[in-house]
Amino acid sequence: MAFVRRHRGILPLALLLPGLAWLIIFFALPLYYQGKISLETGSIFNGFHFNWHFRTYTDAWSAYHTQFLRSFWFAGLSTLLSLLIGYPLAYAIAFRGGKWRNALLLAVILPFFVTYLVRTLAWETILDDSSPLVSFLQTIHVISPHGRVLATTGSVVAGITYNFLPFMILPLYASLERIDDRLLEAGADLYGNRRSVFRKVTLPLSMPGVVAGVLLTFIPAAGDFVNATLLGSPNQTMIGNVIQSRYLELNDYPTAAALSFTLMAIILVMVAIWAKVAGTEALMGTEAKT
Amino acid sequence: MTAEAYPAPGGATRASSRPPGTSLATRVGRKVLHWSLPVYSALAITYLLFPIAIIIWFSFNNTHSRFNFVWQGWTLKHWKDPFQVPGLLNALKVSIEIAAISTVIATALGTMMALAMVRYEFRGRAPLNFFVFLPLSTPEIVLGAALLSLFLSLGVNTGFITIVIAHVMFNISFVVVTVRSRLIGFDRSLEEAAQDLGANAWQTFYRVTLPLIAPGVLAAGLLAFALSIDDFVITNFNAGSTVTYPLFIWGAARVSIPPEVNIVATMIFVFTVGIAILTVLQQRRAEKMAAVRPEQEAIA
Amino acid sequence: MSERDIDKMIDELVEREISRRQLFRFGAAGAMSMGAASFLAACGGGSSLGGGTHEQTKVVQKSALGTELNFSNWPLYIDVAHGKHPTLEKFQKKFGVHVNYTEEINDNTEFFGKIRQQLANGTSGGRDIIVMTDWMAGKMIKLGYIEKLNKQFLPNVQKNLIPALQHIDFDPNRDYSVPWQSGQTGLIVRTDKAPDVKSVNDIFNPKYKGKVTMLTEMRDTVGLTMLGMGKDPTTGSVSDMLAAIDKVDKYVKNGQIRRFTGNDYLKDLPHGDTWVCYGWSGDAVQLESDNKNIKFIHPEEGFMLWTDNMLIPVGAPHPYTAEVFMNWIYQPEVEAPIEDYVNYVPPVAGTKAALLKIDPSVAKNPLIFPTANVLAKGHAFKQLSPTDEDKVNNAFQKVIGA
Repeated sequence: MAFVRRHRGILPLALLLPGLAWLIIFFALPLYYQGKISLETGSIFNGFHFNWHFRTYTDAWSAYHTQFLRSFWFAGLSTLLSLLIGYPLAYAIAFRGGKWRNALLLAVILPFFVTYLVRTLAWETILDDSSPLVSFLQTIHVISPHGRVLATTGSVVAGITYNFLPFMILPLYASLERIDDRLLEAGADLYGNRRSVFRKVTLPLSMPGVVAGVLLTFIPAAGDFVNATLLGSPNQTMIGNVIQSRYLELNDYPTAAALSFTLMAIILVMVAIWAKVAGTEALMGTEAKT
Repeated sequence: MTAEAYPAPGGATRASSRPPGTSLATRVGRKVLHWSLPVYSALAITYLLFPIAIIIWFSFNNTHSRFNFVWQGWTLKHWKDPFQVPGLLNALKVSIEIAAISTVIATALGTMMALAMVRYEFRGRAPLNFFVFLPLSTPEIVLGAALLSLFLSLGVNTGFITIVIAHVMFNISFVVVTVRSRLIGFDRSLEEAAQDLGANAWQTFYRVTLPLIAPGVLAAGLLAFALSIDDFVITNFNAGSTVTYPLFIWGAARVSIPPEVNIVATMIFVFTVGIAILTVLQQRRAEKMAAVRPEQEAIA
Repeated sequence: MSERDIDKMIDELVEREISRRQLFRFGAAGAMSMGAASFLAACGGGSSLGGGTHEQTKVVQKSALGTELNFSNWPLYIDVAHGKHPTLEKFQKKFGVHVNYTEEINDNTEFFGKIRQQLANGTSGGRDIIVMTDWMAGKMIKLGYIEKLNKQFLPNVQKNLIPALQHIDFDPNRDYSVPWQSGQTGLIVRTDKAPDVKSVNDIFNPKYKGKVTMLTEMRDTVGLTMLGMGKDPTTGSVSDMLAAIDKVDKYVKNGQIRRFTGNDYLKDLPHGDTWVCYGWSGDAVQLESDNKNIKFIHPEEGFMLWTDNMLIPVGAPHPYTAEVFMNWIYQPEVEAPIEDYVNYVPPVAGTKAALLKIDPSVAKNPLIFPTANVLAKGHAFKQLSPTDEDKVNNAFQKVIGA
């Protein structure tokens, strides 16, 4: 450790610098421009002028708070579902996967390779009004006899859950896999039953993965617009659809930028709260006290 | 370290070892419990792969027009000329190249950052954590549009390289978060032990730290690769006239998604499954080797 | 064409020590229009510029052609065979110009958002030809993003462009735009589920509640709805448009309209998720051939007619080559194979006769070659001022949920 001790100041810097520089140039700088744009007024025909126009923010909120709230509701629901589906699966891969572990991991990310749009269109086929699945749901009265699945909140939430599930599973797996078997053995000897071992050993140790998974699922879900477009109706549009339409359809760049920053701000607040609730400070960087 | 006192059993066998001598009811309960997890997991995997099955199925659809929406019977005709649609193969190639390059860069940079951020105390670490986290909470469309503004104001013509830059940018944070979730609470004693044994910093990193964090890095790399190959929104802004696989499909969907897209998806699926099988075989061989030289087990 | 190109061409001419006669011919075809008239005046002689196809190809100066042409188009909007585009191959064979054909345009506004800043800076990102729908073409022309065409190089276009498209409001003399394909927006119907649909207003029939979709393209949805309300989208006022949007909103709220789509209705119709929808004719040709219960209907009130146009963006590296290409396309024999694949409405006169020879069934399809009687009921959407466009678009986006 002598080398590291001697260069304690330099090493972390050297490790950080390349990635940090990349983010500063290609993320922070462009974002700064966007921040400026959000305070401009004008149109593409007359040009945009910077004039500290904060009203863009209040106007954007009052016009689109419905979509904001809906986005967080859908994202929250999808995240919860992803956790319920993903945790047992990640647990199984990590502890029971054996030699199939990597193969199972590949299966988890496989959906990514057939492209978002094609996957989502496949769900349209699976859930269409005359599909066997829908008739089945009608027969068992989960939905009304003439009810549908597509173009409802259910299909949008299901689509989001499906599309972001791997974001939940991978970090969960990464932290579960790390847990030392011997700790579980020790736990088993101490508490005797599996449930206690899970509650007192496995779960706390996997918390960083839960935190990361929830974030990686919730955040892109909150900003998503493809699922609402393809699987929803106008009553399911999310804030991502609004940003998309403001930016691309209406060329209203200030509002699009203001909506984006509002979305970011809300997400950050929620993340801070989540970090507190989850009882881990994994997020804010005070974790490495070992 | 109390855990050290216990012998290290194999991961696969541990799950089935349980205290003996319990009542029948408990045993049945255990059986159910024992099987419920694999069944549940199999269902979850089915859920993940079900749409892919549909996609593969429709690659054999005997279409009469350009559309591939309704099942019309089996045929192999589309498989005879899978790259009949111009641009599809090239788009796929471009996407794989971009994904490979950006994954390597992002995984390297992100892992380094995660190491620095977890391992070292330095001033400004909290704001740094916050900063690294920001790209994750920025809507994709904002990332894409903002980056495009930067490139254009710098007079950079968008294309292959700008897509790689964009993908590395959004992937770094994903890698940091994933790797860090593994590094947190990481047992430093092994590294200290290695150093006590005279290993230098590089040896320690290479022989001890890296193998220990490897699953996290692998998960992060896979995630980065998947995100890159699947990205549409950010790529769309920064692609210039380069067409990636998702861009191609997004465009093709405007008119119809030809069965060739399903064929390519199927090929990717088969290819990935092939790799999976290879890994399994590889692992089996490694296990055999490890059985011969058990002392290696200590490090792996 | 830029001065740089003129310089280059003149250099090439001098280099080859071409004869006065050749120089003249070149000049008449090329340089005259590029502000080099004074230079050419010294050469003397009269014009030899002919209008016919045959003469025009003779006039094309290979030395002035680039070696490549960068053509950005919508996906599957040109003929395809065995992984290649035969039309582009033919062009390469004839002129030695390789066409870099990119299917990068998926949406008018999206593409506009992507290249706006480049165009504002006077560069096209290497693109020579882009294809945009009428209203967006008009917007780009107004913003000064499009090069003016040298009509001297477009005799076939002058001769073969169908009369209906010769004078349109956003570009009255076709100084900037050359039509690529036209299309019709009307009703596409599942005749087994919704028989007797004749009027636009049948889409609001409560029998079809939740089985009805409209298009995310504002001009198509608002235009058709206006027709159903007895208003003309070509001459109607902004308040007529807003009234149509209000009407649509009412039917979104009561659940009549299931959703707004791009081409997604292609899937919804055969699956039975949608029974009646607003849709495009080129799609309908294919849908009808797949399922005899699907039919495109020209509503009795009329339908929407639109055109996608080839444009040369400012700063295009090969404008002359682009014009040669546009001119070449405007021959019925060249257009026919494209039409055979694309199935929209060709803007080139004589295409039907040419197509009868290669694919009579397509040539006889009334959706691809509508009769004059049918076409007379087509309406183009009014070119809106920027302020009006903002107003109408804003209202429309609100209704579709964004």
